[in-house]
Amino acid sequence: MSEALLSSTTRTQKVAIIGNPNVGKSTIFNYLTGLNQKIGNYPGVTVDKKTGLLHLSEATFEIVDLPGTYSLFPNSEDEIIAHRVLNHTRIEDRPDFVLMVIDSSQLSRGLFLASQLIDLGVNLAVILNMSDLAEKRKIEIKTYELFKALGVPIVSTDARSQKGLDQVKQLIGEKNFSKASTFVDIRQVIPVEILDRVAERFQLENHYQAYQMIRFGSKDKAMPAEERRWISDLLDSIQFNLEEAQLEETKLRYKKITDLVTKAVAKREEVKPKSKFDQLTLHPVWGYVIFGLILLLIFQAIFTWASYPMDWIDGFFADISTRLVSWLPEGPLTSLLAEGIVPGIGGVVIFIPQIALLFGFLAILEDTGYMSRVVFLMDRWMRPFGLHGKSIVPLVSGVACAIPGIMATRNISNWKEKMITIMVTPLMSCSARLPVYIILIGLTVPDEVVMGFVNLQALALLSLYLLGIIGVLITSFFLKLILKTDEKSFLLSELPPYRLPRWADVGLTMIEKSKTFVFEAGKVILAISILLWVLASYGPPSRMDQIRAEGEARLEQARGEEEIAAIEAETSSLLLENSFIGIMGRTIEPVIRPLGYDWKIGIALITSFAAREVFISTIATIYSIEGDVEDELTIREKLAQQVNANTGEKTFNVATSFSLMVFYVFAMQCMSTLAVVKRETKGWRWPILQTIYMTGLAYLTAFITYQILS
Amino acid sequence: MTADQLRIDQTGKIIEILPSPLKLNLMELGFLPGKKITLQHEAPSGGPKAFRMEETLLALRTSEAALIQVELI
Repeated sequence: MSEALLSSTTRTQKVAIIGNPNVGKSTIFNYLTGLNQKIGNYPGVTVDKKTGLLHLSEATFEIVDLPGTYSLFPNSEDEIIAHRVLNHTRIEDRPDFVLMVIDSSQLSRGLFLASQLIDLGVNLAVILNMSDLAEKRKIEIKTYELFKALGVPIVSTDARSQKGLDQVKQLIGEKNFSKASTFVDIRQVIPVEILDRVAERFQLENHYQAYQMIRFGSKDKAMPAEERRWISDLLDSIQFNLEEAQLEETKLRYKKITDLVTKAVAKREEVKPKSKFDQLTLHPVWGYVIFGLILLLIFQAIFTWASYPMDWIDGFFADISTRLVSWLPEGPLTSLLAEGIVPGIGGVVIFIPQIALLFGFLAILEDTGYMSRVVFLMDRWMRPFGLHGKSIVPLVSGVACAIPGIMATRNISNWKEKMITIMVTPLMSCSARLPVYIILIGLTVPDEVVMGFVNLQALALLSLYLLGIIGVLITSFFLKLILKTDEKSFLLSELPPYRLPRWADVGLTMIEKSKTFVFEAGKVILAISILLWVLASYGPPSRMDQIRAEGEARLEQARGEEEIAAIEAETSSLLLENSFIGIMGRTIEPVIRPLGYDWKIGIALITSFAAREVFISTIATIYSIEGDVEDELTIREKLAQQVNANTGEKTFNVATSFSLMVFYVFAMQCMSTLAVVKRETKGWRWPILQTIYMTGLAYLTAFITYQILS
Repeated sequence: MTADQLRIDQTGKIIEILPSPLKLNLMELGFLPGKKITLQHEAPSGGPKAFRMEETLLALRTSEAALIQVELI
């Protein structure tokens, strides 16, 4: 008692929420913590660590939302996290209480995990959630029987309608959790001497904790190598078959649970008929048609809705830059702020509408239960390419933007399938490529209708998108042959019943995903934009000063606004040509000449590494196009007049334009994507490999295109 | 027979789960001897199959369903 008092006064007590996937765990977590949430990382894995604070009149509690899991077996990263949190080597870091959420209509499956938690000796309370659904299915749970058999407090809730959730708060406030007596004696499957030796070495409280340590210890990379070896040596020395033990444990548990459920549950015995929705959404033909229509609807919404806030954000940051220039004294600091940092931040914020909307839609599809149907329908078609049914979500998102797509690869548990998906998603033609395609197609493809209804420009655009998809399939296929893993790929998933989405959770997902992107990827993006700005604004000082002086001298003699604008545009074009980026553009000219590009295009290739659409504004600057660069027609007219100094032909002829378009289909011209890949793969290795292969592919295909067409 | 050989609307009673690295995953999802499963949906061209087991609808690849030995009832 005194110990409990002491600990509660010295620190915030921790409550971990655990449960099977799709049981409404996050709704309960969101209810308890609201917007007081924080997403962090667990070391070494890609699983998000979700924590939040619950303020009650009694005390404040820290709530940890553990990833959904069916058992405490070390099958996946998620389960390793659950193990690591519950059995933390530093006892003070373990949760004080564990709240286990069980889907009332899936009682036995939930009790499986609950019984493991009981045997671990945690302070436990059980929430029987989705009581309405169970009622609808005529399942009646005798809670008191269950309480007697388990020996831990039980609360019934229906989180969707918020029924019973105040009781959960009350339970936490009163710290109404308890340690129950052992459910399955693990000494039945593993010799007690071994359990004792492990328990002694790692100072564990009971035999089940020792058993957990034996099973996880050698797989958990957070454990010191020496300890891991000690465990595997111990197992080798007695030739103990861990897998057999696990199967035996599973059988013992389920046997006891089945007995318990028979006593505690009264229900009608019948096979549930197929749902009418599933007859349609899982139909071999209509299922795909419906999926196609839903995709169309989502893209329609993203392209039309996201463009408004994106335009505001664009205008807002441009406005700030202009104001800064007029308010602050002229100098390098001001231009760093106005031309480097502010547009850099703008370049991060501009992605928020697309990310938020896409994740909003994904959350709705996930929450209603439709997403697992899509995985069911697509798995067969993705597997030949080394992808999983779940890869369809990132790939489809990639058509809007690769960033949310890559962030959505989290759901893919198999390492190899996840890596392949991450590596190929940026090959899907995203919305940032669209302006580049449109300008170049407008320059070279006639706006004509052939065969009665096919518009040639539309056909060209469609071909570029198809080219990206072909790139995805071929690259995936090669990666499938190259990457090696011992993990077995499996589908094995539940198709949860259709439900209405929980709008509050959808909203929270949108906020959380946008926050993650801004704060995690934003740093890298900002750093690269500043670097690019420095390279584009500075050059060898003597040369730069001379250009500025000449420009000013000419300005003094200029008459009329038109002439002034022309001189200013020419000067900034000259400055860019002689900046470090300009020098880089000239340096790479021999390399890109076989693709049909001159050094001016080379500069645009380098600057558009920040983001593909930057290609257009750079081209506009470098060909000293005055006036509104947003107006595509002005740019197009000017570009059409440009002549390549090397060949004497038009710069943007058919061969060069197509070569450029093909280059942009494949090239990794997006630092934001790189930053997100770095975050998701926890290092620079994969993003660097990705840049190399994509640039290589882009170079090769653009080379072939130019050589064929010229 | 194994569960992948069930036809739509046919029900089988699980006899045992054949040995494989996925045996544990199947068992923790509730595929246990004695349970009844009914094939309700199939994706085309050898795609995944969806089985109804008590209250849940569970999706398995054909190769995974082949690990579940059943007797027709």
